[in-house]
Amino acid sequence: MAINAKTKKKTSILLALTLVCTLLLSACGGKDKENGSSGNSGASGKQVTLKVEVFDRGNSPAGSTITNNYLTNYVQDNFGKPNNINVQFVPVPRSEEVKKLNVLMASGGDVPDIVFTYDSATFYRYAQQGGLTELSELIEQHAPNLKSFLGEDTLAYGQFEGQQFAIPAKRSHLGKYSSFIRQDWLDKLNLPIPQTTDELYNTLKAFKEKDPGQTGGKVIPLGMALAPAQYEPLIWSFIQPLTDEQRITLTQQLGSRDYPTLLPGFKDALQFMNKLYNEGLMSVDFSLDEDKKKLSEDVSKGLVGFFSEDDMNPFYPDGMYATLQANNPGATLTSVDVYSNSEGKHPKPEYAPIGLFIMIPKTSDRAVEAIKYLDWMASENNLFNMQNGVEGENYTLKDGVPVMKADATEEAKNRIYNWGDMAIISNGKQLGDADKNVEAYVLGMPEQYQDETRRALTVSRNDTFKPVKFDRPIEAQNKYGTGLLDKFHEIVVQTTMAKPDKFESTFESMMKDYMANGGQAILDERTKVYESMK
Amino acid sequence: MSPVSGRNRKQKGANALKLGMYFRRHWQLYALLILPISYFLLFKYGPMYGVIIAFKDFNFFQGINGSKWIGFDAFREVFAMKDFYKTLRNTLMLNFLDLLLSFPAPLILAIMLYELKSVWFKKLSQTILYIPHFISWVIIGGIVYQVFGTQSGMINNIVTSLGFDAIPFLTDKNDWLLTYLLVGVWQSAGWGTIIYLAALTGINKELFEAAEVDGAGRLRKIWSITLPSLKPTIVTLLIINLGNMIAIGFERPYIIGNTAVREYSDVLSTFVYRIGIESGQYTLATVVGLFQAVVGLVFVLGANYASKKLADQSIL
Repeated sequence: MAINAKTKKKTSILLALTLVCTLLLSACGGKDKENGSSGNSGASGKQVTLKVEVFDRGNSPAGSTITNNYLTNYVQDNFGKPNNINVQFVPVPRSEEVKKLNVLMASGGDVPDIVFTYDSATFYRYAQQGGLTELSELIEQHAPNLKSFLGEDTLAYGQFEGQQFAIPAKRSHLGKYSSFIRQDWLDKLNLPIPQTTDELYNTLKAFKEKDPGQTGGKVIPLGMALAPAQYEPLIWSFIQPLTDEQRITLTQQLGSRDYPTLLPGFKDALQFMNKLYNEGLMSVDFSLDEDKKKLSEDVSKGLVGFFSEDDMNPFYPDGMYATLQANNPGATLTSVDVYSNSEGKHPKPEYAPIGLFIMIPKTSDRAVEAIKYLDWMASENNLFNMQNGVEGENYTLKDGVPVMKADATEEAKNRIYNWGDMAIISNGKQLGDADKNVEAYVLGMPEQYQDETRRALTVSRNDTFKPVKFDRPIEAQNKYGTGLLDKFHEIVVQTTMAKPDKFESTFESMMKDYMANGGQAILDERTKVYESMK
Repeated sequence: MSPVSGRNRKQKGANALKLGMYFRRHWQLYALLILPISYFLLFKYGPMYGVIIAFKDFNFFQGINGSKWIGFDAFREVFAMKDFYKTLRNTLMLNFLDLLLSFPAPLILAIMLYELKSVWFKKLSQTILYIPHFISWVIIGGIVYQVFGTQSGMINNIVTSLGFDAIPFLTDKNDWLLTYLLVGVWQSAGWGTIIYLAALTGINKELFEAAEVDGAGRLRKIWSITLPSLKPTIVTLLIINLGNMIAIGFERPYIIGNTAVREYSDVLSTFVYRIGIESGQYTLATVVGLFQAVVGLVFVLGANYASKKLADQSIL
């Protein structure tokens, strides 16, 4: 017995010692490696490896993978080989870009040399925490083509407190949303296309009562989802005309969008949604539908009378419109600009003129090669070739606009299946001016939908307003943005689904919750910044 | 140098000798221990080092050591957050309701299976009951939306075709609570029977025969023999469950939950996910995790102590 007790004690001391050792060891391992940002170029002799992030949407065609396809080979052959660089692509799932990027950045050594995100808050956080390479000198030295391609205005979006920590991609088409209505239903009921929100309400009621699509009571007059493309056009049309001060201080930027939570008219928008919901004019389960899957299913089944969506989305080959027509021969959609404000205009947000924030982590030894890669993409015809493929096989030129060949071989089409994710310095095709860019989108669509696409792209550029831009980051937004976006969605859902007599109290309590969880902090900070800007 | 008496020294020498003999005889047992111990050190104790993130203004470009110490600032910030208390309340509420509903379910199921006479039917139903345990929550989430959806869910299709109003199983918070609990029972009850069934095989059959001779019916036998024999197992599982009151799995509330019912579905694990992984505020997320761990420890020890006092059963 005595021995046993002693042994036990010894063992536990041993255990404790081991524990301490392990802790010490892991403490050493946890230390980040510190090293310079710019390494020496690999041109002299040894080949170096440049790692570039790429979005993986899980849509690689058979025979190619996200890290080995026509475009990766194009990059390797035209940029890698001449410069003695081995370009490796590191896939990141599109739907988890920020989460996966956080993990990659935290891992230190394994992070790609070129990373990017759409989320400005993430960019600001990395910049603020000192995790990014300062780029202005590198751009000056190695990237004349990139600089002239992007221009000062675009580059300004990548600055943080006066330093160039990111290279923003240039966006070619700024329009976001259009609305669509079932033209065949209107014709059947002998109704005109609604021009204002009030007229829309009457049209929706008619859809509900007369069920022109003979859905057997399943008709969804207004297709809604808990996604910006559906609620933004509706809500923003209720916002009253704003002064500059209101726009700057009362707007709340959550994630990458401006939200109207505190703007005059927001409550009226929710009241309208509440009315639609309680009268059965709107998708019942919209709160469950954050990825728009249900909405697109309902539209394709021919149950939805009216909805708004990203301007081009319905027209893709085998997309919403094509499926709708396959299920319901005779169904036609018209692009319309309906939601209207007190002045009879159709206000809706447009994109900032940028796309991805492209960044080079401070831990990267290949900053020079990374900048050279981006510069290569902006030079000569490289961007154009990456976006459009091979002339004669993928496209033919018409007035300087590439027209996608409808009869291109499967192999040719597959070449550029992810051009949007590979040609990172541009969001959309760049052909010199906005109308040409839009025309390129139109001509990329199936022929029977090209006219309607053109109309939708006109709608999405009508009466738009730009996101508010500051010359410094609003810290409260970076801190609370993600959480508040959830709260914003909660406000929309709860007030919409409340019984009409509970609307007022629901709105009050939800707003209080919103303000307490960071809304007030953002408001205060923006007000302060506005004061200092005056 | 303190003077050591001869006797003492002798005693020490003898002890060392005995210890050596002991190790020589039993070293295989200790060798066997190395693997599990290193597992715990590496994967359970090693990561505890990261707890100090809670006391630092963590910046992952500077690493844990490079970040500034901030003392209890982050704790103050978390405890001032309204959402923290809401998620804490929801965690306890969902776990407590789960305990009421999901804890007895496998017990009842196990006794029912035990009472079955037909062996092949027993095997078949056991297998069918286990299956949900192996289905990922993501897939269960998909099934739940198909079955319980308000507009096109299977159940509501039947309900509305009978002329009743659709029931918002997923979008009304109280109805959602029921959905959440039932899905949990469906997913885990079958698997939970395993431990009970194992314990049941240990019951001496003679007890049942004797009871039969005494004229005891089926229910009487369950009440007086089966249940008392399961008591240690039940208490052990109860202690473990109580210890987990503050911890909650991430997938189930995250996937079954949605914006309309966030009032109830937002729990500590989803809260940690949101502020930690989504917003990159690792310090705050670590504070919440540490808080959970400490409260969980108190719960386990408390439950263990109570059961030792009340039922003379304990696992420590």
